[in-house]
Amino acid sequence: MGVVGNWFKERLPVSGVELAELTNEPVPNHMRRWWWCLGGTPAYLFVVQIVTGILLALYYQPSPETAFESVRRISEEVNFGWFIRSVHKWAATLMIAAVILHQMRIYFTAAYRKPREINWMIGVSLLLCTLLLGFTGYSLVFEQLSYWGVTVASNICDTVPVVGSTIKQLLLGGDTYNRNTVPRFFILHAAVLPTLMVVLIALHIAILRLQGITELQFEDEPEEGSKHFDFFPDHFYTELIVGLVLMILLCVLATLFPAGMGTHADPLTTPEHIKPEWFFYPSFLWLKWFPGTIAVLTSGFIVFIMFVWPFIDAMICKITKRDDLYFWIGIAGVFMLVGMTIWEVLH
Amino acid sequence: MTEAEKREVPPGTGQDRRSFITRLSCWWMGLGLVAGYGYFASMIVQFVFPARQSSIKSWQFVAVANSLKQGDSLTFVSPAGEKAVISCVGTKGAKEDFIALSSVCPHLGCQVHWEANHNRYVCPCHHGAFDQQGIGTEGPPKAASQSLPQFSLKIEGGLLYIKAGTQSLV
Repeated sequence: MGVVGNWFKERLPVSGVELAELTNEPVPNHMRRWWWCLGGTPAYLFVVQIVTGILLALYYQPSPETAFESVRRISEEVNFGWFIRSVHKWAATLMIAAVILHQMRIYFTAAYRKPREINWMIGVSLLLCTLLLGFTGYSLVFEQLSYWGVTVASNICDTVPVVGSTIKQLLLGGDTYNRNTVPRFFILHAAVLPTLMVVLIALHIAILRLQGITELQFEDEPEEGSKHFDFFPDHFYTELIVGLVLMILLCVLATLFPAGMGTHADPLTTPEHIKPEWFFYPSFLWLKWFPGTIAVLTSGFIVFIMFVWPFIDAMICKITKRDDLYFWIGIAGVFMLVGMTIWEVLH
Repeated sequence: MTEAEKREVPPGTGQDRRSFITRLSCWWMGLGLVAGYGYFASMIVQFVFPARQSSIKSWQFVAVANSLKQGDSLTFVSPAGEKAVISCVGTKGAKEDFIALSSVCPHLGCQVHWEANHNRYVCPCHHGAFDQQGIGTEGPPKAASQSLPQFSLKIEGGLLYIKAGTQSLV
């Protein structure tokens, strides 16, 4: 070992072998299959979002007077601004899709059951944070969708009994959309929510490491022999390949379908055809079907059910003596969400 | 305390007094900490929620009454930020020939617009609709029995005025 090596060894008394042992958790065999190893995908995309987000913040100016123009400048004048912004937008879309798919995988394999209830609840919180990041993200452009999206969302908060009006005030920095609003959404998008997500992701991974990954047995796998393989280097290489494929996908999507811009926000005109991003289509339709307070309270109730689902599922199993009802409830839920999304796409 | 009195203190009492004072100081320090950070928290809450500007209603000029023909409408934004749509529904140019309705949908706050061919106000966000008097006729506003709030109007010297919010200077 050279002088430099010794210098570090004296100050960081951990060897490469010890480091490999520390990180080398046993990974169940089912994670050799590509479709079963995508839990790291949202985390990878989150890192992409942080890097591209920091870059965009170098030029973005969060105020009603300057926001739209600064986004236009990023898209049209700054070197490779269009590319960074498009990667940011597509990574957000893929991250939301990846979190939803990951959560569905956990649900349909009943991996949320005892003792993993707390990690499921952290996962649902991460899903909500991801959706909020998506929403606060497109509200920053200060185009028509941004303005009216924020207006509708703040009025949705207002319909919540008791605390609604306070939440609306807190979000908007006043009774209606005003000059305090864009900076608040920027702070939420770029500081509060990402910090919360970093904490939740750290907890999620720590609990995962403490409890180990849920082990699944496939019919074509031999029942004898080792049921695990090493995280390092086997699974590490898999994650590396997933990261590479995602980067290629992001570059292709950003190049072929760059992020565009709508028209500048106009507080006096709501556009004739206005819709939120695709991931809010079910709640958008729900708001058309039911009056404000009922729609908001039922949506909140559904989210609450999702949050405490492991405990409800345990009760259902105990009462009905069947442990497969969760599957059919999940199928019904997915059909409803997909159906509502398709309905909104077509209308 | 004299040397004789000191000697009379039963064994262990000095220790008890010391631990009592230690506990008391801990409680006081804890209380001080809670009070200090509590007051700081109250300052943060006041910082985060901006002070509401007081608004008073006053008559404000809109247009020359006879410049609007039957079927015409115009948008009015008050200094306090209220948005209204004023429609001319008669031919005499009298106060009764005008209706001033809030153009903010009471469902979730989008802007309604007048659809002359269907004789109704429409909210594009969640497909709500209102009749000429501002009463909810379709979509979520009808389900929740919501209407567009009305503003008072008056005509003086041939000029149309609306009673809406202004921001006070103090």
